Amino acid sequence: MTSQTAIRTQGLTKHYGDVAALVALNLDVRLGEVFGFLGPNGAGKTTAIRTLLDEIRPTSGTATLLGMDARRESVAIRRRIGYVPGDLAMYPSLTGHDTLTYFANLRGGVDWSYVGDLAERLDADLTKKVGDLSSGNRQKIGLIQAFMNRPTVLIMDEPSSGLDPLVQREFQTMMREVAAEGRTVFLSSHTLSEVQRVADRVGIIRHGQLIALESVAEMRSKAIRQVAFEFGSPVPPSVFRDVPGVRSVEVAHGRTVLSFDGTIAALLKIAEQHDVIDVTTEEADLEEIFLTYYRDEATP
Amino acid sequence: MLAGVTAKTVRDRWKGWLIGSATLALMLWWVMSIYRSLDLSIYTSMPAALRSIMQIPTQADVGSLAYGAIYASYGALTLASFALAAGSASIAGEEHAGTIGLLLANPVSRTRVLASKATAMVLLAGFGALILWGGARLFPRLLDVGIGGMHPGALVFHMFVNALFYGFLAMAIGAWTGKTSLASGTTTAAMVLSWLVAGLFPQIHGFENLAKVSPWYYYDAGQPVFNGVDWGRLSVLAGAIALLAAVAVVGVNRRDLLSQSVGSTMVDRLRSNPLTKRLADRLAGSARVSGIWIKTLSEHQGLLIVTGYVMFLVMGVLLGPLYRLMDVTLRNFAGRLPETLLALVGHGDMRTAEGFFQVETFSMTAPIAVIAVTVVMAARALAGEEAHRTMGLLLANPVPRSTVVVSKALAMVVAAGSVGFATFAGVAIGSLLAGLGMNTADIAATSLLATLLGLVFGGLALALGAATGRTTIATYGAGGVALAMYLANAFLPLDAGLAGYARWSPFYYYLGGDPLNTGMQWGNGAVLGGLFVGLVGLSVVLFGRRDLRQVG
Repeated sequence: MTSQTAIRTQGLTKHYGDVAALVALNLDVRLGEVFGFLGPNGAGKTTAIRTLLDEIRPTSGTATLLGMDARRESVAIRRRIGYVPGDLAMYPSLTGHDTLTYFANLRGGVDWSYVGDLAERLDADLTKKVGDLSSGNRQKIGLIQAFMNRPTVLIMDEPSSGLDPLVQREFQTMMREVAAEGRTVFLSSHTLSEVQRVADRVGIIRHGQLIALESVAEMRSKAIRQVAFEFGSPVPPSVFRDVPGVRSVEVAHGRTVLSFDGTIAALLKIAEQHDVIDVTTEEADLEEIFLTYYRDEATP
Repeated sequence: MLAGVTAKTVRDRWKGWLIGSATLALMLWWVMSIYRSLDLSIYTSMPAALRSIMQIPTQADVGSLAYGAIYASYGALTLASFALAAGSASIAGEEHAGTIGLLLANPVSRTRVLASKATAMVLLAGFGALILWGGARLFPRLLDVGIGGMHPGALVFHMFVNALFYGFLAMAIGAWTGKTSLASGTTTAAMVLSWLVAGLFPQIHGFENLAKVSPWYYYDAGQPVFNGVDWGRLSVLAGAIALLAAVAVVGVNRRDLLSQSVGSTMVDRLRSNPLTKRLADRLAGSARVSGIWIKTLSEHQGLLIVTGYVMFLVMGVLLGPLYRLMDVTLRNFAGRLPETLLALVGHGDMRTAEGFFQVETFSMTAPIAVIAVTVVMAARALAGEEAHRTMGLLLANPVPRSTVVVSKALAMVVAAGSVGFATFAGVAIGSLLAGLGMNTADIAATSLLATLLGLVFGGLALALGAATGRTTIATYGAGGVALAMYLANAFLPLDAGLAGYARWSPFYYYLGGDPLNTGMQWGNGAVLGGLFVGLVGLSVVLFGRRDLRQVG
């Protein structure tokens, strides 16, 4: 493996009795990127994360973080990671400040002025007991504890849960800053718009298996989009039917609307040969791509 | 009433009641078979007052002795403990778990939810009583023991009503405060106190009538096993139950419900006071979260304060003067009791202050106190963090699993040591106040052995929690083994052929060497300490090997 790899799994498999929660997962997450890890409930995202953190042990396969074995060197790994579990729970009788002090004491080397900055950016109240906080405000404490020791790898499972839109935006900025500093964010999320906004690459997992692993830009370029042309004079649909990537062509109210995946250059070349007045494209978003992968749920 | 709520509550708890009641019934069988082989003539010549304090029925024979030894005291305390656990968890438990909002989002009133929970508690207590009654009828037949003229059904019925009293008391406190630990802790303290008052005050001239302030008096003063159901005294308990139910209904309807119960500790209150804020912040804020062991200890400060207080004041300081007040002839007669009988009460020779404290404080109450503290702490230590989903976050820090286990065990050592010290200090001061002349070093030795005994069962709960990640298995498993081991040590020596097996019980290494008279038994202490260390080591291995549970 290269020194640029933050997380690597090879054939990582986890069975619960007869149920295969994770099947031969091969993954490389680089340093300096935000990696989006997508999949519906029960797809195996949390199982993968819990295996990386040595909460559970794989049935077969290996996982390394920062070049260290997730099982044998888990303590050394945990010195360099930050973690926000899904369905975050903390100690209700401790205040936010006490909670952070507790974890800071276990970690060592936490810069409290940085904790103050994080609290300010996330608008977190550290004086109240965690049990008295709303779920969103509780989540902020969880985020601060993950960020506070400036970890090399941040592993977060549904971290935006309960956050209001303003705080979500600030949190996304914080994730991009982490990547810009050459550190890594491993982000498991259902909030696809967020992943689309912050992630460099995305892995999609279904029934415990990785079914797609690409950069967000590549994924979007390959996705089915809608392109609409307005021509000065009528253009027959047959003109576009043989262009590679065109799935369908409809003509209505002087507009030619195409469902299309692939590069747009070939399409523009044909359109230029006619009297083009206007062209609009509806960019494919991650949600559509995600749904495309999952439409055929019956076939694993 | 809501059948679904009742059914769910019964479903959540029936196993505990089944195990507890069935264990008691089996113990009855075992003890009955031991008594069958003994000469019981000594019992008939004992003064009534002495029989009462030693929980020995008036017409001593195999059946009545066994009912008295197993059902009347241990059985009643166990059944009441189960009921108060169910009562304290009824509304406050849903608040603590954060599920009360979801439950009340349905078109149901708080009163109906409470009534459903109360119905479940009554059904569970009835279920437990039915098992006890079945054992009380079946085992004498199997062993060919005559129970003519006795009313085991009446005894069990009294136990049932008694258990409901403490269950409804806990329910009322929980309904008014929303705090399960406050409800269960206060009710447990009230139960132990009333059990003591009902047993001791009738033996003290001038205090006989004061026993009537104790609810326990209305349960056992009528000797139901001989005289049948005492409707008069039971109606007092029934009236109190009705009153407590009404109090609970008023309480649950008049206050704000908690979305998730966050206890307010003494330190919290000091932190909110401007005068003490700075000091309390330093103590509570930075000190209590400075490490895993100290945080664990601080989470149980309420339990420690209540238990330490009961052991220091009630079971220690107050008992010295009480012993002075007891009738001299009663004390002298107690000294002539045979060894087999003394085994029942931890071999205490009541002629001496040491024997009295052995019977009242050290034979049962001190082990219960220390074991309760260590088992509760141990069950919550690993399995509890998993159940509350905080273990994942804790272990995301650079801390090996072994450190977590050892830190939690260290917290248990400090907690058990605190209760042991409170017991030592209480008994030593009680002896000093009453001029009993007890040896301070011997009191310290016995308290230290009680501490080590508690740690053994705490270690067992820790290992069970480490292996399974389940608090119920850790709590009931260790609690059940502790009860069985206590009874094994108390009753096996009564049969010469079985006496040697008592060495398999950790309790044997606690009072077996009579430390209150002969001082520290270092060998026994080493056995108990070694067991604890071994169980902690086993916990490290078991916890290190398995997957953490995913709860929720």
